[in-house]
Amino acid sequence: MENKNLVELKNIRKVFGKVIALDNVTFTAAKGEIHGLLGENGAGKSTLMNILYGLYSPNKGEIYIDGKKVRIDSPFDSIKIGIGMVHQISTLVPEFNAVENIILGTPKDKFKLPIKEERRKVKKIMEELGLTFPLDVKTKELPAGVKQKIEIIRALHKGAKLLILDEPTTSLVESEFRQLLKSLRALVKKGVTVIFITHKIKEIMESCDSVTVLRRGKVQDTIDKEQMTKEKLVKLMFMEKDIKVTESALPKVELPAIKRSKKPVCIVKNIEVKGKEKSKGLKNISFEVYGGEIFGVASVSGNGEKELASAMINPSLLSNGDILVNGESIKHLSTLSVFNKGVAYTPEDRIKEGILNDGSIKENVLLGHHTEKRFLEKNLFINWNEATKAARKTIKDYNVATPSEELAIRRLSGGNIQKVIMGRAFVSPTDLLITHNPTSGLDVLTVEFIFNKLVETRNNGGAVLCINEDLDELMIISDRIAVLHNGELKGIFQRSEFNKYKIGLLMIGG
Amino acid sequence: MKKKNIIQNGLLTKLLRSLSLYGLALLIAFGLISVIIALLGFSVPDALKTLITTSFKSAFGFQETIKKTIPLIFTTYAFTIPFMIKFFNIGAWGQMLFGGTAVAAVGLLIGNFGLPSFIMIPLLVVVGILAGALWGWFAGFLKAKYDINPIISTIMLNFVAVLFVNFIATSPTFKDPLEGHPITRPLPSSAILGFFHKIPYSIIFAILAIIFVYILLKKTKLGYEITSVGYNLHAAQTYGINFQRTIMLTFLLGGALAGLGGALEVMNIHGKLIEGFAKTSGAQYGVFGILTSLVVAGSPTGVPVAAFFMAVLLVGADALQRTMQIPVEMVFLSQALIVLLIVIIRKKFEPNGGK
Repeated sequence: MENKNLVELKNIRKVFGKVIALDNVTFTAAKGEIHGLLGENGAGKSTLMNILYGLYSPNKGEIYIDGKKVRIDSPFDSIKIGIGMVHQISTLVPEFNAVENIILGTPKDKFKLPIKEERRKVKKIMEELGLTFPLDVKTKELPAGVKQKIEIIRALHKGAKLLILDEPTTSLVESEFRQLLKSLRALVKKGVTVIFITHKIKEIMESCDSVTVLRRGKVQDTIDKEQMTKEKLVKLMFMEKDIKVTESALPKVELPAIKRSKKPVCIVKNIEVKGKEKSKGLKNISFEVYGGEIFGVASVSGNGEKELASAMINPSLLSNGDILVNGESIKHLSTLSVFNKGVAYTPEDRIKEGILNDGSIKENVLLGHHTEKRFLEKNLFINWNEATKAARKTIKDYNVATPSEELAIRRLSGGNIQKVIMGRAFVSPTDLLITHNPTSGLDVLTVEFIFNKLVETRNNGGAVLCINEDLDELMIISDRIAVLHNGELKGIFQRSEFNKYKIGLLMIGG
Repeated sequence: MKKKNIIQNGLLTKLLRSLSLYGLALLIAFGLISVIIALLGFSVPDALKTLITTSFKSAFGFQETIKKTIPLIFTTYAFTIPFMIKFFNIGAWGQMLFGGTAVAAVGLLIGNFGLPSFIMIPLLVVVGILAGALWGWFAGFLKAKYDINPIISTIMLNFVAVLFVNFIATSPTFKDPLEGHPITRPLPSSAILGFFHKIPYSIIFAILAIIFVYILLKKTKLGYEITSVGYNLHAAQTYGINFQRTIMLTFLLGGALAGLGGALEVMNIHGKLIEGFAKTSGAQYGVFGILTSLVVAGSPTGVPVAAFFMAVLLVGADALQRTMQIPVEMVFLSQALIVLLIVIIRKKFEPNGGK
């Protein structure tokens, strides 16, 4: 009898120290389907799939592929069985082009590299899936979406009949996600099974044939497409808490009508920034942000949003124009002096630019504030007592899950790290908050928390400049949205004029 | 209250764990050393006893150990501080020589003015610090302004410093006419630091340096900035810390400490500038400073203990050669084995490679 399940994981248990990451988890995925694996951060999704891929070994449990019991000790074993995994962070060799990356580790001949043959094979797979990407460009020069395609092709080239995608949409924009979905559909038609790990309900609804929901290391339920509803999935994911969600499965927040300040907190006047590498920089950008409003800047990654964020806190990057905060020009100020004028910042890439990985939460909260009077004695010594107080206040106000402010920040989850970064922005009085993709990669509960903090800032009369590539999010929290494309401002919309189609089209230059 | 206990317990287990790892590494290293000694036909118990206990058996052994610990502390810091922001200062050797040479030259030039000790000694100490700081800062400057790899620049600056020693030691202005070798005239007695029960007074400066480095790194703004850059350069820069300035300052500080170490060697141990200073003590402390720092994974707090431990080995090794005629190569071999095994064991057993 033909087995209809390709993968069966039975009674998997995995313990890290004292933490039970997976508790008696049983998971099956049928042949030729896209099977979602849904759960908030830390629910055990990645752990489960890393066990299947051989990166972790389970403390208990069995793995069956095609009905046969298998033993997987390393990715070497899983690749042989036909399992491929695309991780959240690119594992390509940046100096190699697509073909070199794809064939890495496959040629059997020790001395000859059959690059022409392999290239033909790679092209064939690409054609079958309707994927196109340059084969001869070093992968470090390619955008995230393309790198991901290369990783998928690499897994297929190694003969994968099961493809695991770990949070594949983290660095994709809407149109890239659509394209990914199309390719996955083509794959499934050829009989490949796809496991799609995500914490976004919207993506599960749009892409999966069935879904397994994990919560705190336990399977909540497995349901088919017909029975999937937003409300049901939210309930399974969070159980104890009822949160309101919008059409796009994002948390709902209220923007009460308040009077914005008479004078703008921040005036950006005709600024220009020279672009680095492929980016075109910024050309003649002007806008104003008032107290009591959230001013959204919508931009597809690579259209100048990075330059805008950097120039706001590091005005030495400006080649032209001026930025005024509370009426004073900050053009000639250093980053620390800009912060001292009441500007706060949360960067886009929270791990790379946001935190001191091995540093404690306390050291992290202090970053950027360490030259303020409150934290500096005699202009020389750090006042660690004040720093401890500030860190404890942040932990309390922002519900950071940690035993102490001395804990190394890298041991926190992504959501808690973002809370610390957000808390750091409010350690000192803040007139203008510049925040770049504040919710990327976070689960709905944390997103709701961050949204509420931004709105609270606005309601208290603060000015918020939120640069974001997720238009759905901006439409929920912004009072106004400006569109940035190719380094130019393509219009500013009032909340009453928000229209997803119209703004989305401007974002891609239509 | 309860929370605090948990943290302290955590620290204690961490300390015990770390000690047991060092113990394991030493055990394996001494095991291997024993095998080699046995193969060479020497008595293993005698050799091990000599290697480990020479420093503690006699007053002389202990004094020798302290004499070696002091300069090692300085050169180890010279490597450790730039290493905190992931740069290699191979130049502690040159910075030490430059400090020592500057002290000898200035000390002899102003020697006839009849300045009293309480002016002469602080003055020369400052000269040594400034000279070393200049030599270190220059490598940092080359990195910050022209992106020149400090490994290259510090090695080159070492060579220049060696030649500078030769230049001063052979120049007619400074050379002792009574000596056949290139050696300067002795420094005036007002410039000489004495001994207290054969322990050099330079130990006071070493203790001050330990306190200084601790306060600098743990309590000051600059220390926080250095630590932050070490943790994550991108984040530190994003939040306004000036990376170029931090590079120059770490090399300046490292150089200053090595320069002080060199000054103290000249003022306390040699009493004059000997050409051999470049090859024997300078090179030895320069290289062993790097090893000592790596043994404690570049952790500044571990430096004094590690330097003392290394000095025990150095003294024990000298004794091996002197009393048992075990070839000197054997001595280097055992030191290398110990350092390698500590590094390997730590990488293997400690998460994050001991950080």
